[in-house]
Amino acid sequence: MAANLQAEKRIRQRYRREQRFKALCIGAITLAILFIFVFFADIIQRGYTAFYQAQIQVEVTYDERSLEIPAAAVSEEVRPLVSRGFLRQVPGHVQSDPDLKGRTVTRWVTADTGVNQYLKDAHTGLSPQEKATVDKLHEAGRIEFAFNTNFFTRGDSKMPEMAGIKSAVVGTILTLAVTMAVAFPLGLMSAVYLEEFATDNRFTRFIEVNINNLAAVPSILYGLLGLAIFINFLGVPRSSALAGGLTLALMTLPIIIISTRAALRAVPDSIREGAFGVGASRLQMVTHHVLPLSLPGILTGSIIGMAQAMGETAPLLLVGMMAFIPSAPDGVTEPATVLPAQIFTWASMPQRAFDELTAAGILVLLAVLLTLNATAVLLRKRFERRW
Amino acid sequence: MQMPQPNDNPGDPEGVVARSSMGAAELREGSDTVEGEDRPQSTPAPGVTRAPEVGGGSEAAEPTHPTKVDVRGLSLWYGDTQALFDVSLRIPEKDVTALIGPSGCGKSTFLRCINRMNDLISAVTIRGQLLLDEADVYGSEVDVVQLRSRVGMVFQQPNPFPKSIYENVAYAPRIHGLAKKGAEMDELVETSLRKAGLWKEVSDRLSMPGTALSGGQQQRLCIARAIAVNPDVILMDEPASALDPVATATIEELIDELRSNYTIIIVTHNMQQAARVARYTAFFHLGEVIEFDDTDTIFTNPSQKRTEDYITGRFG
Amino acid sequence: MSDDIEQSFFKEHISQRFNTELEDIHSRVLSMGGLVEQQLIDAVSAMVETKFELAEKVATSDYKVNAQEVEIDEACTEILVRRQPTASDLRLVLAVIKTITDLERIGDEAERMGRMALHFLEQDRQQGPIEGLGEMGEHVHGMLRGALDAFARMDVDQAVRVAQLDIQVDSQHEAIVHRLMEQMMKSPDAVPRAMDVVWTARSLERIGDRARNICEYVVYFVRGKNVRHTSYEQMAEEATGDRH
Repeated sequence: MAANLQAEKRIRQRYRREQRFKALCIGAITLAILFIFVFFADIIQRGYTAFYQAQIQVEVTYDERSLEIPAAAVSEEVRPLVSRGFLRQVPGHVQSDPDLKGRTVTRWVTADTGVNQYLKDAHTGLSPQEKATVDKLHEAGRIEFAFNTNFFTRGDSKMPEMAGIKSAVVGTILTLAVTMAVAFPLGLMSAVYLEEFATDNRFTRFIEVNINNLAAVPSILYGLLGLAIFINFLGVPRSSALAGGLTLALMTLPIIIISTRAALRAVPDSIREGAFGVGASRLQMVTHHVLPLSLPGILTGSIIGMAQAMGETAPLLLVGMMAFIPSAPDGVTEPATVLPAQIFTWASMPQRAFDELTAAGILVLLAVLLTLNATAVLLRKRFERRW
Repeated sequence: MQMPQPNDNPGDPEGVVARSSMGAAELREGSDTVEGEDRPQSTPAPGVTRAPEVGGGSEAAEPTHPTKVDVRGLSLWYGDTQALFDVSLRIPEKDVTALIGPSGCGKSTFLRCINRMNDLISAVTIRGQLLLDEADVYGSEVDVVQLRSRVGMVFQQPNPFPKSIYENVAYAPRIHGLAKKGAEMDELVETSLRKAGLWKEVSDRLSMPGTALSGGQQQRLCIARAIAVNPDVILMDEPASALDPVATATIEELIDELRSNYTIIIVTHNMQQAARVARYTAFFHLGEVIEFDDTDTIFTNPSQKRTEDYITGRFG
Repeated sequence: MSDDIEQSFFKEHISQRFNTELEDIHSRVLSMGGLVEQQLIDAVSAMVETKFELAEKVATSDYKVNAQEVEIDEACTEILVRRQPTASDLRLVLAVIKTITDLERIGDEAERMGRMALHFLEQDRQQGPIEGLGEMGEHVHGMLRGALDAFARMDVDQAVRVAQLDIQVDSQHEAIVHRLMEQMMKSPDAVPRAMDVVWTARSLERIGDRARNICEYVVYFVRGKNVRHTSYEQMAEEATGDRH
């Protein structure tokens, strides 16, 4: 009986220990979820306001005077309320449409950031008199909120109401295009060689170890390397998508090689043996059997590598991609910036209005990253194969 | 009542002995015409020079099979470890030869020498001769791809390509340029599947992935895949070890049907299987051929103690 | 040489139970052999020493032998089914199956001799000893004991020696038959009695043959050679063939 009681006690203790451990694990997960939730809530709460912005209906006079001094195009009363960015465009309007000359047109124009901030209940630099005018116009329906198209169609600007993310997005696309164009084939070829062709000797093992180490090298070092090789030695234009893309390619290469090798290794040897057994050459074995089977895995790894490259800022700082780029680049050799760099730039701007732009930029970056990762997961799920 | 009446019996052993030694002479003669009298005597394998007819009733009328694979003093090293020691064997044409032995005895290694699958592993050193139809498989002019179209292989784990059944069978003929796309290939696929006894089961679903078949069907698909290029020799590396008894029986039946057209060499852990399907059996132990003889002899009266110990379960 | 074969007959299997099973059928054959041997001894002495009770006992106790044969037979079937023996194991089981068949037949012959003795003794108890029958009985008994001995130790040399004794048994049988024929020709009254003796001698001769069979099974087990229906010379040759 005593032994029985002791055994029972032991069992109860074991159960308690298990329960405690389980509770600890659940606690860890809850904490992680909480962090993510707080982070997302904070960013969304701070960023969503950037997607709409105040517009003001004003009469724009296109006369000789306003062509010389664009500020004269609108009445003095609303002049401080209209974005200076708009006023600068007034001569341009006439140039593109000569009919406008000498006419007065009533139109909705982007309001100054001060109006925006005031209406969004944030700190504003408007004088009490200007605030009164805004209130009056707002009640009269001449100031309204509308979707912030500038954010998606314009490049960077010193004026928050005119600043957009387009040049950064285009820059990112160009940079990543260069990165993938270089890193994917190089990485794939290297991995296929190492995994399927190379004999296992000291030299290949040395290369393997080094590739694994490269994946762990801090990314800023790749920036230094890119600066030294691509810009100073090869003469690639500074702060261009080409320079940034090549630098990121250097950084992504080990990741792609490692994930590709893992995907290749996941193809069972029985498939290789089967192919060799019916007399396939090594190249046929690789191209007919192993690559098609491992492609989903390879793509998944590459997409994850790409997502990582996309979120990278440090190496790009060194190749000059932290530049102020008001208009989207037309080619890979033109100065460009990328999303995270743009976010960083905005975050360091003194004006309060850039706060919400920063958050909005983060939201866009997150959306793109999540889409990429979801694609990777989908690919993996879709083509997951069991042997 | 058994009265001792020697030499009176029509089926007396003297006749058998005479027949058998005659067959042995033929066998020896047949291969010596090409290679001369330098056969290594390193292995104590009485079956090497033995005529296949011994003990065979109705089969005694068949002509003696010439040697298909002639192995002479083959040694193999994986790096510094020697896996095969001076193996000599003469595997007759168009019949089933089983290789048995405990795990790690070198039987699979030996099997893989025949179609040079060991080439895939680096750091393999091979010495000695392995002749297929009197031509050295390891000769410098031999193209491995060509060789493997003559020596097909079926593996332990059924490994159909993750493609359609049709593609599985058509793949090898296509890469070897044996049949044109279309009707010619369709026909080849059908014949191969028929030979592998799979046609009836899959003829209406050739576009289904080969991996969706049952284990036994997959293995027969692999056999169809191997015979699609019409090889001379089919190597089977424990073809039924992953299958249930019924699927195993089907594979064994298939081997029995194929034996008249192909030289089949089968590695098996299952001694009963060797006894059922093979006409000749070689016993490997620690990288050596201990004994090679008629299957009957190996399983009723092996001449080597190690063979006896192994097949009666006395190892360890 | 045969000694170390004996050492390893049933031993060294990875499965200890298999060892035990093989040992078991082997020793049961020997105990059945002992029973049969006793039957033979009793049958011979009943006839030769005119012991009525012994004759009765022999004539009625064959069922023990039969029962043993069935039991061993079943044990062998079980081994075949469960172990699928190969090589020497297979040969041992086959040798056992054949040996017990022969032993059972020897038992039958002994029983027949017992019945013959009953018949014989009922007719006439006053007759003198039958010339040669006792000697032949002794000889056949020696053969049987020798065969069982060879089987016990799986001794090929002994088996060959014992098998050759059958030649003498055959000649003794011929001599007895010849003598009795002469007696019968001389006095027809002696025919019924003589016939009993002839049948007894015939039974003994058959027992000798069966003992020889057992020797052949020993050779089959040890050498893997089937020496049935061969000459003694050939048997001896096969038996001395080198092995392992």
